Amino acid sequence: MMTLLTLTAILISATLILLLGLGDPKRRRAARQGEGQGSPLRRLLAVGAFLPGLTFILFSDAAAILLWLGGTAVAGWVVTLVLASKSNAKGMRREGANASKKHN
Amino acid sequence: MIHLPREETKAMVAVHGWSGILLGLLLYAVVLTGTAAVFAEEIGAWSAGHLATQSAFERPMAETLRRLGDETPAQYREAVDLFETGDHDLGLFFHRHEMDGGELISRGLFYVIGQDGRVTHRQQGTNEDVYGARNDNALSAFLVDTHVRLHVPNPWGLLLTGILGLSMLVAAISGLLIHRHLFKDIFTLRRSGSAVLANRDAHSVAGTWSLPFAFILAFTGSFFSFFGTVGMPVVAMAAFGGNVQALTEAVYGNPGKPDPRPAAIGNMDRINADAIARAGAIPTFVTIENFGRADAKVTTYHPPKAAAIAPMSLLYDGATAAFLQEKPLIGPKPSAGGTLAAIMSPLHFGNFAGLLSKAIWFGLGFAMCYVTYTGIRLWLVRREGGVRSFAWLERTNMVVGLGLPFALAASAAAFLLAMPLGSATWWTPAGFLVGAALAVGAGAIAPDAARLSAWLRNATAVLLLALPPVRLLTGGPSWGRAFAAGQPIIVTLDIAFLLAGGWMLWSLRDRAHAHRPSIALQPAE
Repeated sequence: MMTLLTLTAILISATLILLLGLGDPKRRRAARQGEGQGSPLRRLLAVGAFLPGLTFILFSDAAAILLWLGGTAVAGWVVTLVLASKSNAKGMRREGANASKKHN
Repeated sequence: MIHLPREETKAMVAVHGWSGILLGLLLYAVVLTGTAAVFAEEIGAWSAGHLATQSAFERPMAETLRRLGDETPAQYREAVDLFETGDHDLGLFFHRHEMDGGELISRGLFYVIGQDGRVTHRQQGTNEDVYGARNDNALSAFLVDTHVRLHVPNPWGLLLTGILGLSMLVAAISGLLIHRHLFKDIFTLRRSGSAVLANRDAHSVAGTWSLPFAFILAFTGSFFSFFGTVGMPVVAMAAFGGNVQALTEAVYGNPGKPDPRPAAIGNMDRINADAIARAGAIPTFVTIENFGRADAKVTTYHPPKAAAIAPMSLLYDGATAAFLQEKPLIGPKPSAGGTLAAIMSPLHFGNFAGLLSKAIWFGLGFAMCYVTYTGIRLWLVRREGGVRSFAWLERTNMVVGLGLPFALAASAAAFLLAMPLGSATWWTPAGFLVGAALAVGAGAIAPDAARLSAWLRNATAVLLLALPPVRLLTGGPSWGRAFAAGQPIIVTLDIAFLLAGGWMLWSLRDRAHAHRPSIALQPAE
């Protein structure tokens, strides 16, 4: 039960981190994907991502806090890697298309 | 974030770079083996094909303990350690404490009790013989020993890993201070720009996400390394006239009036059942002080309870088997220091919430390996084209970074082949050395960095894919038998190795396609 609750908390935070990553202005500029999310929305998403951890702190559940913190950190890194490989693949496709246009 | 003046930032960058470059490769070895060692227990069960699921502490042992106590010479009845060994067999180590060259050791008689209650092994020796590598746990013991002291003899190995932990702490703090846009850059991973930019992003993104745990793991790792080698002797010298044994008894022992009258040990089965009910978990270790005396004390050690991270220990009267109290790790009463010392182990090993916490700690360890490896790459690409050539360091970084996983996979393969022959304690490290020699050889003859990277990755992938079939062919339990016995971890690790090997081959194929148009030398992998 406890494990399931912690996993759900990590999943919620990871989903919000994914949304933050998708709309991250600097990442989008670097990948030439246009403007990112505005500050108010990003703050709201960040607070939401921290909420599960804050709940565990309120309940003084030391094990769940550590699991949530560690799990969210790993999930955040994985999200960043996945987003980078996606935009990298798009970039490569774009470059490939440009190259073939030039060739033609 | 923290904005330092320009000169201080430059100094911090130098501290960060040199602390990483001087000890980075050794640190990588320690972190990588530590990452694998998170699953040491599971790797032990997988590699040896252990199928038993009933703990030795759930089986009757009271009569055996009394009988062996009577058979054991009185000089070795000062204390008894009880723990699980092999496939949930019971290990009983009757011993006395003594000083050996300034080091506190235990010497005595060690018995192994099989699942049928019969003595299967009897051996006279010290704690090093009893807790050292055996044929069936040689692989997990090798991983742990590499992580703990890099196979350098004590105390130098522990001091070395302690210094590595401190260097990791220095790198984490200086990294935090020099990173001006910690949160702004947290999702930015540019791979199509310059090599410096790509490596900088890869290093800083992984470092930022895992930063809190870099502090935790570095600090707790250094604590473990320096605790016995520096901390204990210094405190013993300051407060106990250099007597480490007296210090150990004062810190971990159970104070009370000595009562040396002979008294039979209480019912150990009753103690085990009571301890399991109170802690809600099987003991990981049990100790008996003053065995066969009226003042005997039994301490049972358990994993943390739900929502807690500190392990739990319970104290019993040895003669009557009556429960006395929940015992803090340090001293007779709960204290902040005792709690801090107690949480060091779960914080470092991530073993406080079963497989979930271990999986998360594995992920964090992997991220830290990546940070160390990409940190060295970043330092190197920044100096590309400079006056001094660091090509040798680039090649060394690749040989260690990619060769170490290959050598570890080779040691696992060697273990699987040698265990049925009874020579795994010799062949496991030998397999590692053969793998390491092959990686070094590849580093010496590879024409360029890209080729060396492809060779090492391919070889590691093939070995990982080969591990499950080799395990089955050398007599390891099939998936059906493992499931039927309630040991899904064997199947899980088989699948993990197959997935890891498959993913490595797939990513190499992907990389080969992506790089095909270029004939120029690729940036160092």
